[in-house]
Amino acid sequence: MNKKSKFRNLLSSQEFIVFIILILLYVGFSVLNPQFARYKTLVTMFDYACFYMLMAFGVGLTLITGGVDLSIGTGLVAYAAIGGTVIRSFEMPVIVGMLVTLLVAVIFGFINGVLVGAMNLPPFLATLCTSMIARGVGSLATNNYATPWPMASQPGGWFHNIFKIQTEAGTLIPIGFIWVIVLMIVMRYVLNSTRFGRYVISIGSNKEATMLSGVNVKYYHVMVYVVCGLFVGAAALAYAAATPTIQPGQGAGMEMDAIGGAIVGGGISFRRIRNNSWDFYWNLCHPGAESWFAVYWSECELATDYYRPCTAGRCID
Amino acid sequence: MGKLKQNPIIKQLGFNRIILFLVMLFIYLIFCVLIPNFLGLSHVMSMLNYVCFLGFLALGVTFVIATGGIDFSIGPVMFCCALISGYTLNQHGVPMAAALVICILVGTLFGGFNGYMVAYWDVPPFIISMASMNIAKGLASVYTKTTTVSWPQSADPGGWFRNFLKVGNVPVGLIIFLIAAVVCSVILNNTKPGRYILGLGSNREAVRLSGVNTKKWEMIAYIICGTLAGIAAIFFAAAYSTVQPGYGDQYNNEAIAACVMGGTSMIGGLASIGGTVIGTLIIALIQEGILAMKLTKDVQLIITAIIVIAAVYIDVSARRRKN
Amino acid sequence: MGEVILEMKQIDKSFPGVHALDHVDFNVRRGEVHALMGENGAGKSTLMKVLTGIYKKDSGSIIYEGKETEFHNAKEAQDAGVIIVHQELNMVGDLTVAQNIFLGREPRKGLGIDDKKMIKDSRELFDHLKIEIDPMEKMSDLTVGKQQMCEIAKAISHDAKVIIFDEPSAALTEKEIEDLFIIIRDLKKRQLGIVYISHRMDEIKQITDRVTVMRDGTYIGTLMTKESTKDEIINMMVGRIIYEDPKQQSACPPDAPIVLKVENLNAGKMVKNVSFELRKGEILGFSGLMGAGRTETARALFGADPKQSGTIYINGEKVDIKSPQDAVKYGIGYLSEDRKRYGVVVGRSVAENTTMACLDNYLKGFLINKRAEKNVSDEYIKRLATKTPNSEELVMNLSGGNQQKVVIAKWLARDCDILIFDEPTRGIDVGAKNEIYKLMNQLVSEGKSIIMISSEMTEILRMSDRIVVMCEGEIKGEIDISEATSENIMDKATRNIS
Repeated sequence: MNKKSKFRNLLSSQEFIVFIILILLYVGFSVLNPQFARYKTLVTMFDYACFYMLMAFGVGLTLITGGVDLSIGTGLVAYAAIGGTVIRSFEMPVIVGMLVTLLVAVIFGFINGVLVGAMNLPPFLATLCTSMIARGVGSLATNNYATPWPMASQPGGWFHNIFKIQTEAGTLIPIGFIWVIVLMIVMRYVLNSTRFGRYVISIGSNKEATMLSGVNVKYYHVMVYVVCGLFVGAAALAYAAATPTIQPGQGAGMEMDAIGGAIVGGGISFRRIRNNSWDFYWNLCHPGAESWFAVYWSECELATDYYRPCTAGRCID
Repeated sequence: MGKLKQNPIIKQLGFNRIILFLVMLFIYLIFCVLIPNFLGLSHVMSMLNYVCFLGFLALGVTFVIATGGIDFSIGPVMFCCALISGYTLNQHGVPMAAALVICILVGTLFGGFNGYMVAYWDVPPFIISMASMNIAKGLASVYTKTTTVSWPQSADPGGWFRNFLKVGNVPVGLIIFLIAAVVCSVILNNTKPGRYILGLGSNREAVRLSGVNTKKWEMIAYIICGTLAGIAAIFFAAAYSTVQPGYGDQYNNEAIAACVMGGTSMIGGLASIGGTVIGTLIIALIQEGILAMKLTKDVQLIITAIIVIAAVYIDVSARRRKN
Repeated sequence: MGEVILEMKQIDKSFPGVHALDHVDFNVRRGEVHALMGENGAGKSTLMKVLTGIYKKDSGSIIYEGKETEFHNAKEAQDAGVIIVHQELNMVGDLTVAQNIFLGREPRKGLGIDDKKMIKDSRELFDHLKIEIDPMEKMSDLTVGKQQMCEIAKAISHDAKVIIFDEPSAALTEKEIEDLFIIIRDLKKRQLGIVYISHRMDEIKQITDRVTVMRDGTYIGTLMTKESTKDEIINMMVGRIIYEDPKQQSACPPDAPIVLKVENLNAGKMVKNVSFELRKGEILGFSGLMGAGRTETARALFGADPKQSGTIYINGEKVDIKSPQDAVKYGIGYLSEDRKRYGVVVGRSVAENTTMACLDNYLKGFLINKRAEKNVSDEYIKRLATKTPNSEELVMNLSGGNQQKVVIAKWLARDCDILIFDEPTRGIDVGAKNEIYKLMNQLVSEGKSIIMISSEMTEILRMSDRIVVMCEGEIKGEIDISEATSENIMDKATRNIS
């Protein structure tokens, strides 16, 4: 392949187009509302983008295997709420709360993995059920009270620094975004050049053939959902850092934004198999773009927040 | 066991449905033991409130699942129907009969929209129904300006619509529901739409290549589902009076649970209305039992989810054993 | 022929209600091709699945390289050098050729995969086998034949000692089969043991050294291929003699009226300017290689796929066929090559399938007249001798040949005058094949007209009154049966292919 065609490929690739759209949207919103262009807004946007992107990474993997994880939205809120309760009600150090959050997320990921990978349930139905369970467990664990994580100024507030730090001069640095970029590079490597990634792709493309090649399909299929759970756990931490309190029972709908981000940005397209319900079809996989789209998506969300009066319907849930 | 299955009477009724019915009786007995007064009429009547609206939702979604599709929007659509028609009734003073027609019509429109997108635009059903779930919620919120809508009480003018649910202690709603179930069963098993819906759920291409307009019949399944969600809205309003915008998701899952539990296969092509009816009764029973045990809604969520997982797992593994 | 490398003794296997293998013996020597034959359901595939550990045997022993062995899964068998090349190709379409060959045993480099080594190794492998495939190409971009070559290459790269070909030729063109045979002969020279499962007698004669025949899960016997005759083998398979002689002369009078005329049909890339005529009471054979555009022509004619241009006349009248609905309205029926996907609704009953295309005739108001429906399906079960307990039976419980009869019943119930049979006997065993042939002859004698697409030369020569040969989406010629030979058909079918 010569250089020129490589360049042309880049220009016509989905990531590139999505990236251009992203920039156009940013410029467009900034023109419509000059406040939007301020650095502070950008940093707030990155706060939101951060957990959406983490979710998109996770759910992107399940999409590639031909599944989906609908539990990530309500799950994220429930995990964060459970972690917060551990810190508040049991007066544990923040690090324990964070570990509990990740652990609960991984457990739910594992349940999803077993239901889909080992018990062969339709992924959307199985994960919808676990989302109900997560919601119920979250509400029960918190006794239905809104759960705040420690504020940045409070003891234990150091965890905010994982995602965003403020320099002495008062400038905000969105470190979470840097984490995401690093993770993006890592995930790209994982998908393209490791056994895990290769098997994720090949399970999505032809599960039977992968199995006959001697790959432990069940193990990898379950692992995909576990990894997805881990990402959602990380996203829950980012969410806890970005929002003042966590209201158990919420979060439905967030999964759709993350899935949307993964599909539009990652170029994972839908293919409906008639007669056999449906599944997702792996086409191109570049998690990089997922994150970009997630940014764009949250940007839209933020933009609509600015124009809240005209979108009354969206905010009630 | 095998011999028992071959018995003509049992075969006619369906072996699995008999088992399911026994399971229902068993759950009922357990609740009766655990909860004092559960045997009383008040619990049965309040359970029937639940059965009526959930039953119509479940009947509708049976048609959609029979095509191999799914509809996650019926709960919010039901709310949307009740909200739009109730708000129109209260604010614009249309007669009750008109409000009821509007209610059903809104459901039909949502069903038509879902069906059109699935059949003619090839959008995966779960994507489009997720989308229309949000549309239903948003539309209802915008239309009602996010206010709670109260339907008239029995004594108020227009309160006659509550007679659909019950007159005194006569459960009219249950009777209507059972009649509707019989009609649905006849449609599914003895008419052209039912035949083609089941056929295309089993093998769409083969039915299309037999010269059948599969798109049309697939869309009709969704329209039936939406219309029944509209009817469910009437029973919901009659039972609970107030409807709040932004809710209803939970009922999707309960209706799907009732349907799958009853033996309708998620893969399509196999549906049982009788099973759906019994499934509905079980779900309503559990909900009533949990409320009577003073447990929260969250427990019910978890239990419903576990029931759905179990039902779908049985369906999936039964299919696999057959192949 | 070398020493015995693999021996299966007294293998017994039962499934609930079926005695699938009844003390079967089978062995393979180094450097031989051993054919395993039998009708569908004779137990060939089950035997091979027992060998490779997919099924667990009830009793009996497997001796491999002198030692008693039992493989517990396909991976163990593979590691030991016993590999199946499956009937349905088992390739991951979205991965490249090299990635597929090394799937499950990728060479590591640090934490990741050494892709460069993989590509280099696959290239060496292909050179070694004299196959021309780019290891960087995506698997789904290759033709079926090339994919099969990849699968064989993959098997060899596993250091295979025994390779089992499970009906490898079912999806291949004649040319690809020849390439396959070159490779098989090469493998033979390397002293590999090869098991070749196939239905096609001529292939067996060409490539194999010994033939073992199975029937109803039992071992019937083993013959040296050179010393046996075709009839002998078939006789062992079915227990009776069946002749497959070519037709000498057209059974259709030359002045029979033209029922279907297609002019300049264009659809997609695979149908270019196709024109032909079909006479009443005629079987028009469509011959050609796989991918010549025959199925595409039939589907476009039937309205199943959109067409760009072309006129269709039925009984001299110009008709507009946009969808299968239109085609059925004009009395055309299509029996697809892929019955399970496009023919029968397997999850529903025989009766429902029979009336699928003509349900309007069985309506009484809104309701379906189930009694009339049962009567008509019982009538066709009797007429076509469909083996089914009753008309309520689900189609999925019937065998391939009987499912085909259900599809035929569907179109006969609709009273179709023009029937398109696309590979009517694919995957159907010899006995049922003959019944389908008899039925087709009976149909044309009743005045129906048939278009028969077939990739089997013997079938084309046996059934057709006239033969149309297609190649790369175009009609390359028309041959009357009295002049047709497999040579002049193949010549037309491959004229443009280098």
